[in-house]
Amino acid sequence: MARRFSQTIKKRITVITSSDIKNAAKNSLISAGTTFRKDQLKTYRAAIKKETNPNARWALEKLLENAAIAEKNRYPLCDDTGIPHVIIEIGNRAKLQENWLQAVQEGIASGLKEMPGRPMAVKGNEVERIEQSKGLYTDPEEVIPAPITVKPISGDGMAITVLLLGGGPEIRAKTYRVFHKRSIDNVLRTASEWLINDVKNLGCTPCVPAIGIGRTHMEASALMLEAMKEGDLLKQSKWEKKITEWINAQKVGPLGLGGSTTALGAFIKIGPARASGVRIVSIRPCCCVEPRRATVVLKNQ
Amino acid sequence: MQVVQIQTPINEDVIKSLSIGDQIEINGKILCGRDAVLPKIVDLIQTDTLNTIDVSLKGAVIFHTAVSPAGIGPTTSNKVEIESSIPVLSKAGVKLHLGKGAVCADTVLALQEYHSAFAVTPPTSALFTDKMISIKVVAFPEEGMEALYEIEVKGFPAIIASVHGKTIFSDY
Repeated sequence: MARRFSQTIKKRITVITSSDIKNAAKNSLISAGTTFRKDQLKTYRAAIKKETNPNARWALEKLLENAAIAEKNRYPLCDDTGIPHVIIEIGNRAKLQENWLQAVQEGIASGLKEMPGRPMAVKGNEVERIEQSKGLYTDPEEVIPAPITVKPISGDGMAITVLLLGGGPEIRAKTYRVFHKRSIDNVLRTASEWLINDVKNLGCTPCVPAIGIGRTHMEASALMLEAMKEGDLLKQSKWEKKITEWINAQKVGPLGLGGSTTALGAFIKIGPARASGVRIVSIRPCCCVEPRRATVVLKNQ
Repeated sequence: MQVVQIQTPINEDVIKSLSIGDQIEINGKILCGRDAVLPKIVDLIQTDTLNTIDVSLKGAVIFHTAVSPAGIGPTTSNKVEIESSIPVLSKAGVKLHLGKGAVCADTVLALQEYHSAFAVTPPTSALFTDKMISIKVVAFPEEGMEALYEIEVKGFPAIIASVHGKTIFSDY
């Protein structure tokens, strides 16, 4: 039921209305939080067939069983429903109603209320929020999205992608410089070493490492998010396959139980480079229900 | 593989019979707490004031999770506030700590000393929702989803990760 929201909604529209935008943001969030994509489902099924460790296979089967219940009942896949990250792509000929950004924010809030999201926003001023001394809001709508990314595309349509980023991978994520020594192998091996060091403590394996490589820390993080948005477990590049192999060689396995399935795949996005011996690399070991993402396209025919 | 059925509260003999890698299903009442509330429980134990809240730790299971309308699911057990609670809670009678992620060698030894165990479970919140019978707040309601909760479950799945000084996490 929820999967339909990932599909393109074709409407004869001249102006994309706030109502359409709000619904698109809401439906994208709910779909991201409750539904495995086809590439996830196929990859899990293939991993179960290949896995010889009985406890590892048990964990993979439970994750698939969970996905089926979540999609059927529209329950969250994981109780850590994550922090919404929104990427909006706007066509160069698209006409949007003037309060479109507010409509996106309202749609996210509405989706968190309906799914429901986890009420984990912390009350108080700056210090009180850091120290978590004033308790939590009881309303999931208070979990406001991270800064929203807006990108230009061609055409008269608009696409709203919502990604839900859980807390476990955030503990293990990292953005840092790598001296590239004119070798992509060197850069990606360094990124893999960071990942290997952390996936054994992640708990929620099998993971899908997302890697962004750019000129600044902000850009590398944004590219890492784009890798999560665009990656496909069934269409892996040579380097994505290599990273998956390196991580799987560690035999951490699902939940750390051992076995051959520590990573299901990897998503890499490489951006522009500056003349320098340094590349900025952002890594995030997305957990076993991630990347949780869905896109709704509002398109004029 | 045979699944070991465990009824709460858990007695010493059940822990003695367990080995790492055992698949278990938990039935009965379990406590739920994480980063915010577990240090508070530890403080009550260490100041001998646990009797100020209505909770029994003898034979208890503590699941490292928040409890909210979004469901339940394991949080990372090796976060400082959570892992540091394991020895104190074990000494106070907790028999099974349930979460995810590797725990360190000192924690494995503490579990052995106090005849307790650590089990891992996948973040399968939708599945868990189907296995929950009841939910209630036991203490520290001001912590919201991080309060101390008691839930009743049937057939709650997990795998023993550390018991009797052994751990599944030592191979990598």
